[in-house]
Amino acid sequence: MSAAVMPAAAPTERVESSSGEAEIAYVSYGGEQHLPLVMSLVDAELSEPYSIFTYRYFVYLWPQLTFLAFDAKEGKCVGTVVCKMGEHRGAFRGYIAMLVVLKAYRGRGIATELVTRSIRVMMESGCEEVTLEAEVTNKGALALYGRLGFIRAKRLYRYYLNGVDAFRLKLLFPRLDLGLPPMMMGDERDDQLIDSPYL
Amino acid sequence: MEASSSSAGPAPPPPNIPPSGDRTVWADASQLVAAACADLQDGELVHGENFSLFAAMSALEIMDPKMDSGIERSGYYSIEEAIEDGIAPVPLSLDRTLDIQRTLDVIDHLFSCEATWHKGHTLAQTVFTCIYLMKMERISSHAVLNSFCRILRATCNAVVAVVSTARTHEEEDLFTMSFGLPLKDEGDDKCLSVLNSVEETVSRQLRACKSHALSKRKTLEGLESLQDNPDVEEGYCRALLCRLRFRKHFHHVVTCLRRPHGRGLDLARKHVASCLSELSLMLKSQEFLKSQSNITLQQGDESCTTASGCRPFGFDVSLNSRLMSAAPPRAVKILTWSDALGYFEKLLRDLDVICSLSLDPVLENVLHFIAQFQKSVPDLVPRAFLQTLLVQDGKLYGRDLFCDVISRALSLPDIIGDKEFQMNEFVVQLGQLVINLLKILCTNTAWQRRKLGKSLQDWSTISIQLELALKREFGETRNVLDHENMCMRVSKQLLVWTQEQTYWVASRFLILGFELDLYSPSEYCMVYWYMHVVFIKLIEKMQLRILASNENGSARRKGKKKKDHSKDSARDAAFSSSCLLLQCYVLLSEGLSMLLAVLRNEGKSFLLPTIFNTEQERFLQHFDLLQKARIPEHITYYSFKESAAQAHMADVMKYNFFKEIQKIIPSLKGSFASEPEKLAELRQIEQVAEHNRIALNIINSVGVGDPSLRVSFEFTHHPHFAVAVVKRS
Repeated sequence: MSAAVMPAAAPTERVESSSGEAEIAYVSYGGEQHLPLVMSLVDAELSEPYSIFTYRYFVYLWPQLTFLAFDAKEGKCVGTVVCKMGEHRGAFRGYIAMLVVLKAYRGRGIATELVTRSIRVMMESGCEEVTLEAEVTNKGALALYGRLGFIRAKRLYRYYLNGVDAFRLKLLFPRLDLGLPPMMMGDERDDQLIDSPYL
Repeated sequence: MEASSSSAGPAPPPPNIPPSGDRTVWADASQLVAAACADLQDGELVHGENFSLFAAMSALEIMDPKMDSGIERSGYYSIEEAIEDGIAPVPLSLDRTLDIQRTLDVIDHLFSCEATWHKGHTLAQTVFTCIYLMKMERISSHAVLNSFCRILRATCNAVVAVVSTARTHEEEDLFTMSFGLPLKDEGDDKCLSVLNSVEETVSRQLRACKSHALSKRKTLEGLESLQDNPDVEEGYCRALLCRLRFRKHFHHVVTCLRRPHGRGLDLARKHVASCLSELSLMLKSQEFLKSQSNITLQQGDESCTTASGCRPFGFDVSLNSRLMSAAPPRAVKILTWSDALGYFEKLLRDLDVICSLSLDPVLENVLHFIAQFQKSVPDLVPRAFLQTLLVQDGKLYGRDLFCDVISRALSLPDIIGDKEFQMNEFVVQLGQLVINLLKILCTNTAWQRRKLGKSLQDWSTISIQLELALKREFGETRNVLDHENMCMRVSKQLLVWTQEQTYWVASRFLILGFELDLYSPSEYCMVYWYMHVVFIKLIEKMQLRILASNENGSARRKGKKKKDHSKDSARDAAFSSSCLLLQCYVLLSEGLSMLLAVLRNEGKSFLLPTIFNTEQERFLQHFDLLQKARIPEHITYYSFKESAAQAHMADVMKYNFFKEIQKIIPSLKGSFASEPEKLAELRQIEQVAEHNRIALNIINSVGVGDPSLRVSFEFTHHPHFAVAVVKRS
């Protein structure tokens, strides 16, 4: 698949990065033309298998939470974040499903920028918290989310198909009425099917 | 279905696809599918009443290797086809030497598969990739392979039964999945006698070899030889014998451990020892087997699953893939042979620890036994064995009612067997909580911590209810009848004991967070602060319990014999050393918490990021379950914040917590003289205290605000208590 050129009318923000490196443009999900870009990035870099229906579920229902990063000069898509949000056991919760940046473009804060944009939208939409899973060996992701205020809420034994453990990471937004404890969640059943992000 | 209307009629199905049957016929649907595709634009989806976007996510894309378990094929459609193609010949070779070589390779690869299965895969993708095992009828003429496979299968069946009984949880359910596999056969009851007769034969043959060697005869007499080359007969006999014997002893270990009431533990231990010695003989046989095998056929050490290094006959990884087709394919890498033996060695050592279970009816000791056992990170199989030994038929060891266990824990021997006590609703509920606690403590740490956290609410609820019941029944009355007095005392003690268990669970919940790497360094301050609060409460409840039991003791001692005094004082000594150990934990936690607070206040390090939230949110999240269960009462984020804000270097130096520990340790060492594990932990605590004391001095002398100071925290000596490492840049 050829590298896509940014659609002319889509809202973009160019972010100057440090000396000599490519300029990165951040774009909100604009439509069907972005879908193959997201899919090929995720398929290439992440180990979990997703069918096209999985992608459509996220980008159709929550396009405002999916962002793409483009190398402005080459017009190439170099990173993406795919998320959702919704009611989950009495709390309005955001969920980060996929985050990918091409290897050659890592270490420049692109992933942080993508995630931050998505979390901002979640916050503004009224989410009380944000959650995701990450491999316990993924030091980069753990550091990234740690810097944003996520805690490691749980460890999930052999969560991934390749047998690696995962951390459930959670970010709790401050409540407006300070001093009160967060809402009682009720009894969380630790059934992985129920705890699935797809609910 | 419409047949294609184009030219030459339906094309015959390509080879390897099953032919049309009685009621079914193949038809070409290409045009229909093409028309349907052309009808949909990019981005359009077919809608169905029960088919939403959400539901669509569970769809598996056929032929996508990441999702379709069946796409990676060896080329065989069925096991019969594979057999017809000569994949699993019987005998494995007409050349008897080759036959025994290949048999040993099959045996070794089966060991590797078995270890891989134990480590968290399915039987279908490990042990049952063996065609010989899948079709045992074919090998009934091959005595060695037949006996080995039979006993292996019987053992696997028994182990599946134990793990199923333990019913750990869904994260580990791959282990027991055995649908469609021939796991059992009526002939398997005789597997031991079948194996024994083969072992006898080979053993006799080995003796004959050795005597031949002495008499330097060059021919092999009798039909009992394994193969035809007299020079290597001894080597093959030895190699085979230790493998057969390992299987025999391992089968006995499993059988003995399954005996109820822990009756088989001593015998199991002997068999464990035999297994370990056969295992080392297996390892020794590698040199011989490697030297005998064809160099060109050998795999590299990093991947070989047999002692000889050769790939085994008779295995196909994809034949069972259809059994797994409901889920995306999981990567299964069979352990190397040496890793497999390493796994079995660890397994046996863990089982050996279980065999040392003294069937102690004292709950506190049982809890400590399990906690100690878990330190070696045992795998699923030994944990399942421990759990099924501890809790059988709703009783401890299948023998003691939990209401009796609780009454013993309350130091109230008079009420053991008391019907009223047994029927008390609180006692019944507490009994159930204890059963759950024992089962939870036997699961893997990640799951264990989550379940412990959830159970806090249950423990806390019972505490509150007990307290309310006490107030209701007895209020503030002082002059009570003897019987009522007894009831009140029992209820009070039950309450104190319940609270003590609650704090024990809470402390374990917190410390496991370190083992699971759930805390980041900028959170250690709040974690250690909460830990010291919980440990203080635990000591308090423990001392209340001792006090109450001493009161009971003195009430009973009127008219009792003198020897009971020494039993009481021994118990008191044990309690006080437990309290002292907890006191060490308190000092370490408080010391570390204050040090971290000072580093933040005055050194501006270990700061938490505040982009989307603050320290308060992180506190609330980490301690959510404790806070909800009010463990302890009146502790909030503000309690922590105040305490941390007031931490200054001068105070930390004044209340030198680490120095205080060094005063306690010597007497504790005396108390724990006969308990090596507790001594080992004391040494760790000593190291942590010393290193931190020194670090503190350095930081103080350099000046905590000095920009050249770099402090990090490492768990080099104790898994839960960090050591401050100071560097100057």
